[in-house]
Amino acid sequence: MDYKAVIIGGSAGSFQVVTRILNSLPKNFPLPVLLCLHRLKHVRSGFVEALSLKSRIPVEEPYDKDQLKPAHAYLAPANYHMYIELANRIALSTEEAVNHSRPSIDLSFITAANAYRQKLIGIILSGANKDGSYGLKKVHDNGGTTIVQDPNECEVRTMTQSALQLTKVSNVYTTDQIIKYLSKL
Amino acid sequence: MTELGIVDIREIYKTVKEIYDYDFSQYAMTSFKQRLERLIIRNNMSNAESLIHKLKNNPEFFDLFLYEISVPSTEMFRDPSLWRWVREEYLPAAIDKSIGRYKIWVPNCVSGGELYTLAIVLHELDLFDKVDILATTISNKSIEYIKEGKYDLKKIEVSDENYKRFQGNREFTSYYILDRYYAFRDTGIIKDVEFKKQNINFDDSPQNVKLILFRNNLIYFNPSLQEKILQHMYNCLSAGGYLILGIREKIRNLNIINDFEIINEAEGVYKKRIGS
Repeated sequence: MDYKAVIIGGSAGSFQVVTRILNSLPKNFPLPVLLCLHRLKHVRSGFVEALSLKSRIPVEEPYDKDQLKPAHAYLAPANYHMYIELANRIALSTEEAVNHSRPSIDLSFITAANAYRQKLIGIILSGANKDGSYGLKKVHDNGGTTIVQDPNECEVRTMTQSALQLTKVSNVYTTDQIIKYLSKL
Repeated sequence: MTELGIVDIREIYKTVKEIYDYDFSQYAMTSFKQRLERLIIRNNMSNAESLIHKLKNNPEFFDLFLYEISVPSTEMFRDPSLWRWVREEYLPAAIDKSIGRYKIWVPNCVSGGELYTLAIVLHELDLFDKVDILATTISNKSIEYIKEGKYDLKKIEVSDENYKRFQGNREFTSYYILDRYYAFRDTGIIKDVEFKKQNINFDDSPQNVKLILFRNNLIYFNPSLQEKILQHMYNCLSAGGYLILGIREKIRNLNIINDFEIINEAEGVYKKRIGS
């Protein structure tokens, strides 16, 4: 399958998982990786640095209208929604919080699903609320591939269980399986 | 949930252009689509056709349309580090050196979060009387809203946390009163601000402005419109005038960057080059 992007959403308990995934990706990973993770809105720095430590692909917080590149990870900046526009660009927004969240995982997933349709891989990780469920459904409805972290492995399982309730996902994977899956792309 | 397609959105652009001569076609597609979908739901409409029908048959509705497609500021004192910089590194010296009145323009105000913040900072510096502030809005409803002072409780809570990080010299609670469902900001803070409605092309803009506060607005436009609006702002600034943008709005990739000096990129502060 000819994919265009991977999008990952997570909240409480997802940091370690995201770090492990990023650290496992090869320097020439063929796709952009979009990260929408719940974070403190007033803490602007530190997060991207922590994710970058052992990652072989650069991890950055995008500026508005930045062009997406393969083998780069883009972390939704604090207190902004991160949308994917057609033409492979990021668009940031300060619109109202959704599910008390800005960045909203749902909005990142919905806009990425609109932009990439079946050429998108959406992954939902550990988290303590239901954000991301609706977005993952949209990825599914547009023909994209949907993966949810195995709730048994999640530090907090609300987010993954809620996603599984709403969508018949392509795969339920442990972190190791997610890594293995991505390494074959 | 109403989901609009590209065809619906083009039809809305066309209607608004034909009847009201407003061109939204260079607005960033994703956020504009979401604003329209939100507007449709909030006004109990069912789809693009009902919105277009209302735009065609109810001219009074257009002001509400303009209000609801605008994105309000998220809170007051967003990015406290910027406001500390404004207080400590910028405003007192800049106002002191200024020949003539210090003119500040806050374009595209929607709910007044940035405007109230600026006014509080100026009051705390005891400099409010030394400046002329012009706030422009694209809808009349925004002017009413800002002058009424009403503000969401959740936003007040976040603003209060920001104000603590800003380390202002009062209690933030002294700037508002709490009602049951809303907070009401002290409108005395903005009483000398001049309000004006503008159109989205910024025709009839002020001249010789020393500071334009325009944070998190460019993100709602496509790069070509961003460039055009920044060129316009450039023309409104006096030589050496400042432009403050949102912290994730980078103008480095636009041609207009050559006409500005980067003062504080982390906080989005630029200065019009003298003689350029």
